Amino acid sequence: MQLAIVGLSHKTAPVEIRERLAFNNDALRSALTSLVEKSEVKEAMILSTCNRLEVVAESSDDRLIREFLCEYRRIPHEHLVKHLYSYRNVEAIRHVFRVTSSLDSMMVGEPQILGQVKEAYRIATDAGTVGMHLSALMSRAFAVAKKVRSETGISQSAVSISYAAVELARKIFGELSGKTVMIIGASKMGELAAKHLKRAGISSVLVTNRTFERAVELARVFEGAAVPFDRFMDHIDRADIVISSTGAPHFIINKPQAEQIIHRRKNKPIFFIDIAVPRDIDPSVNQIDNAFLYDIDDLQQVIDANLKERMKEAHRAEEIIDSEVQAFLLKMQSREVVPTIVQLKDALEKLRRDEIERNRRHLKDLTPEQQTAIDQITQALVNKILHHPIAQLKQMAHDPQGPELVELIRKIFNIKAQ
Amino acid sequence: MVTHIKCYNPRMHVVLLRVALGLYSIGFLHAVLTALNKKHTFFRPALWSVIAGFACHVASIILRAIEVRYLPLTQRYEAFSFFAALATLGFLIVYRKYRIAPLSVFAFPLIFIMTFIANLFYDPSRSIPPILRSNWIYIHTPLVFLGYAALFIAFSAGILYLLQERELKSKRPTRFHNRLPSLEVCDDLAYKSLAIGFPLITLGIISGALWAQSIWGAWAGDLKVLLSFFTWFVYLLLIHYRLIAGWRGRKAAYLAIVGFIGVLVTFLGANYFGGLHTFNQ
Repeated sequence: MQLAIVGLSHKTAPVEIRERLAFNNDALRSALTSLVEKSEVKEAMILSTCNRLEVVAESSDDRLIREFLCEYRRIPHEHLVKHLYSYRNVEAIRHVFRVTSSLDSMMVGEPQILGQVKEAYRIATDAGTVGMHLSALMSRAFAVAKKVRSETGISQSAVSISYAAVELARKIFGELSGKTVMIIGASKMGELAAKHLKRAGISSVLVTNRTFERAVELARVFEGAAVPFDRFMDHIDRADIVISSTGAPHFIINKPQAEQIIHRRKNKPIFFIDIAVPRDIDPSVNQIDNAFLYDIDDLQQVIDANLKERMKEAHRAEEIIDSEVQAFLLKMQSREVVPTIVQLKDALEKLRRDEIERNRRHLKDLTPEQQTAIDQITQALVNKILHHPIAQLKQMAHDPQGPELVELIRKIFNIKAQ
Repeated sequence: MVTHIKCYNPRMHVVLLRVALGLYSIGFLHAVLTALNKKHTFFRPALWSVIAGFACHVASIILRAIEVRYLPLTQRYEAFSFFAALATLGFLIVYRKYRIAPLSVFAFPLIFIMTFIANLFYDPSRSIPPILRSNWIYIHTPLVFLGYAALFIAFSAGILYLLQERELKSKRPTRFHNRLPSLEVCDDLAYKSLAIGFPLITLGIISGALWAQSIWGAWAGDLKVLLSFFTWFVYLLLIHYRLIAGWRGRKAAYLAIVGFIGVLVTFLGANYFGGLHTFNQ
């Protein structure tokens, strides 16, 4: 197994370069096919997302892949090369595991990358450029990603304002189905938060806005109802969640009003999300029993805490990946070492027999005992010659440098791959 | 029948109870570590060992019942053991329905401590006070104990509610907070278990009064009787406020906690001060 990765990501290349290199699915197929036409590249897959482009190949030559990328995309070598990274063998395995487990993502722990890698793998499989090495590597990578997800909390908590709002709503209400949200003020932010809530299962949406037409328009988007702005207080007690983002210079809901709302709701909890600046809802509303108020800074604080938690979890994920890389390496190397040993033995045994056969004419006068002795001596000689190389091979299964040494021994004894 | 019983090792129920205690201790350890680390620590193994412990526990109670040929609830050993078993059952039922893992932080220590006390008080004598030899024991005691188990769940749900509420109000989420059930689920659980527990202790108290009536022709001035009236009254208030004043959430959680403290004082206090309910005649 000679793994090579060449690629670039948001960490090494600006978007102008990334967009020039990105492949769509059809382009991927033809690129893969022309890549494996080169004799040095035995297997390949290409991962192309908006944040990265990577060629994962079973090949001993990463320079070739670099050149391929420049040529294929017609980008001058000197422009591209400084953005490219390349990994080989152990480092390549680790890189694949980290990418698939979302540790190398722009937003660590984001869940999409696993699906993107799976898709890239599927395309490569369809194009017929995946062999036993890549398939072993990728199926392990998917298992590692799953393990990282279930054993650490790197993708557990929300790291955007709208997701944080949804998550907090879940902590108050549990199931969101059957709940109602009221949007006060038709801002982009409010719309986004409502969209996330709707996707999370909210049943009905009420919209109110100073310009009523805009409220009607937004209500249509969410299949909800519009409420005139001067009468929103009459309807607000129907809402379990209130998202407020008006441009009002003063509070539009004060504490006595909130108390009255809670009273009208018979103490059922209500969640106020105030994403307006200046704020729409008096902060002291949070002191009322069964009322929960989060303003934009509070949400940001939740996100920061979640991010910090993610970083800590990412550290644990790295440890999992370390041990997985070692385990995978060991498995792959012992998988390669054993056939090499068998081939080595077969090759020398064949050599010995051919030599005896060639000299049979000279040996025919010898007594049967002497013939047996020659047979035994040559056999012993072969065993002695092989003793150290085989011992070394067995040890190499545990050595990170293993693949190169195995390759070297195969070259010395001129053993071709089967 | 008698010879058949003798096939059992007469102390087998004690051995089984100790095995149950050992298994519960894993649950206890889980609860302590979870409370210290603020994150769920080996919950799955703890849950399975508590389930295994519960099986041993039930077997122990059945063997004891066969041994004394009576409802095994007249001794302190038996009472604590029975209560612990009911608490475990309550936890398992609630867990099955609501999947609230953090409930274990309260339930497992209680189960462990009750079983531990039961083990401490083991008394090999099988005598049953004649005054307790009555069919009323089959009605009164299980009602009260089932009621206690339900009210314990209400208490735990109340504490979970307060923890979650404090986190939400403080706006500084911690990791443990991520695993806590939602406010609505806590409140719902607290309310449902109150709705089950309150009628049970009410009937328990009534049946106790009738039992006393049948013996002395009057209610005994037992300390436990007084304490349980007090406790019952707290729960009555809670039901009242929930139904009439529409209380939910925090205030209801506080009352559920006060009520259960009443239950504990009643249950443990009566043992301490003596009287009919000491479970150790």
